[in-house]
Amino acid sequence: MSARRTAAGLWLAVLLALCGTAGASRDAQRPVVERPTMDYVPPAAGSYRLNVIQPAPEGRVVGPDGRFRSLSAYTRGRVTLLSLIYTYCTEPTGCALAYETGVELKAKIIADEALRGRVRFVSLSFDPVNDDYRSMQAYGGSNARADGPLPWFFLATRNVDELKSILEGFDQDIEIEVDPRGSAFRTISHMLKLFLIDRDGMVREIYSTAFLQPEAMLNDIKTLVMEEDARR
Amino acid sequence: MRQFIRGCAIRALGALVATTLASVALADETCNSPYTTRLIKGQEDYVHVWTLGVDGLGDGSDKLVTVDVNPKSKHYGKVVHTLSVGGRGEAHHMGFTDDRRYLWAGGLDDSRIFVFDVGSNPAKPRLVRTIADLPKRTGYVGPHTFYALPGRMLVQALSNNKDHGGVTGIAVYNNKGKFVAKYDMPTSTLGGVAGDGYGYDLAINPKKNVLLTSSFTGWNNYMMDMGKMVKDAEAMKRFGTTMAVWDLKAMKPKQLLAVPGAPLEIRWSLHRGDNWAITAAALTSKLWLIKPDGKGGWQAKDVATIGDPAKIPLPVDISITADGKGLWVNTFMDGTTRYFDLSNPEAPKEVYSKHTGRQVNMVSQSWDGKRVYITSSLLANWDKKGADNEQFLALYKWDGKALAEQFRIDFNAAKLGRAHHMKFSANPRTKQAAVPIEVAAQR
Repeated sequence: MSARRTAAGLWLAVLLALCGTAGASRDAQRPVVERPTMDYVPPAAGSYRLNVIQPAPEGRVVGPDGRFRSLSAYTRGRVTLLSLIYTYCTEPTGCALAYETGVELKAKIIADEALRGRVRFVSLSFDPVNDDYRSMQAYGGSNARADGPLPWFFLATRNVDELKSILEGFDQDIEIEVDPRGSAFRTISHMLKLFLIDRDGMVREIYSTAFLQPEAMLNDIKTLVMEEDARR
Repeated sequence: MRQFIRGCAIRALGALVATTLASVALADETCNSPYTTRLIKGQEDYVHVWTLGVDGLGDGSDKLVTVDVNPKSKHYGKVVHTLSVGGRGEAHHMGFTDDRRYLWAGGLDDSRIFVFDVGSNPAKPRLVRTIADLPKRTGYVGPHTFYALPGRMLVQALSNNKDHGGVTGIAVYNNKGKFVAKYDMPTSTLGGVAGDGYGYDLAINPKKNVLLTSSFTGWNNYMMDMGKMVKDAEAMKRFGTTMAVWDLKAMKPKQLLAVPGAPLEIRWSLHRGDNWAITAAALTSKLWLIKPDGKGGWQAKDVATIGDPAKIPLPVDISITADGKGLWVNTFMDGTTRYFDLSNPEAPKEVYSKHTGRQVNMVSQSWDGKRVYITSSLLANWDKKGADNEQFLALYKWDGKALAEQFRIDFNAAKLGRAHHMKFSANPRTKQAAVPIEVAAQR
């Protein structure tokens, strides 16, 4: 994608975002995403092992109903794919790509009988000021459901302090863009990361943009489910 | 986080500036992991030089030397910071974490890994962690290449703690410095080629799910005096002769390629659509092309000679241009920096050369290809002696026709040590897209 096309797409996305109304479906406002190229057949599920990289951190989050809960309530007991996003992100290889990848993966998981009821998705905002639990539900639209074959939780945090400990636990780097005088813009600069967490709360894979390949991610999820089954 | 709070307080400034995030690309050299963010496409501000301490020279310690390289700075061409780590462990190579906040640097002798914070203030890196458990955790010694994966670091070792030979492997650490896993280099036969178990560099092609590794030699050789080693026929047999093609996701070697003569640095072409890599074999002075074989596997082809192989010029480092059309090659013995036209990677042609020092080792170019940095030290016991033991960092401008020296810092005169590996950084004021190089390179 050329820089000009990218910039034009972003301007359009920003204008749409500025014209948007809170609580409305965000599907029509999402920026166009740039998908990474995948030119290989991923190894079969269960033919490889995903290493234990680090524990998923504990923390306090605001759930879909506005109540405070432990983050671990959303990261244990099922294989969990967790993404850190903010709702007004316009980077074509950023939050919108994470969301679209989730939508594609969701369809594949629901279609697989062996995965139903074994997996959840979590999208957690790293902007506690602009993204509250209501705007997160609006961002999730029809995918923001706590029931069904694949629950997808859109979560917020109450304040910077509570968010900070979660970000440090995930080793997620974010920065606020600043102007030459040191004044902050609204833009959050971050490296896109999605975390695949096993039912025991251990991070087993981390996906950045180049790794957001749904076929390979599906096999990773299957691999963890197969690992669970083998332990039973 | 302080900036975060400030940002929250004045969030009304609006989202229009969001466009700057993606439309302003930043700069950096071409050899980093594709998962590393904040590519520097413009002017780098600093070059960090991982420097070997020399007994009796300055404090004698290995150190990270930071040089201001922005021509608009009043400190241009000057050492602005040094950070000694204590002792001499054969400082060698470095690599950024995926978020480019931290620089990991290894010692080939003591196997210690130093983690420097270069994100908070690149003008004054801080040592934030020392990892000392590589031999205990893996049996490997000599951490060489540091290559970022999301949230973790691949560490390619050169040797082992049993016989200090060349059989070794790859370690994985998470970004917090905790050991995650180890993978032995292949010693079985794959695709009709016998594995030597040796390691040196590694490089990833994400869209092909391929991890490519090369092979050098073990501690017994790289810590031996070079003059003594070349007279030792048995020692000279103990160099790598293979490259391995791994399934990255599964971290399993799938194929071995015969590449005699110690294939060293691996560079994938970053040009959109390209699926080939190139390496230089040190002992045979050859360039090798690694590309798909059309049958679902990979092949290695000897595509060019570097200088006169009979004179053993010893190619020790390469740097590929961002468009994959050119390649810098440094040959240590004759102190020559060479440029190869890679327009046809099947037939690279040397189109320019310049004597840049009595001994030259690493070569690193800026993303735009206009600046070429050169250092001098290969290994403490392989560097030349006496007056030929020049130690320096030099910057050249490249206009497509000739290299023009801009500055040269004498590391001996400055009592710094032996200048080895280089990495670039930029001030925080320079906006850098927080997207992986794999993505930024295509924009």
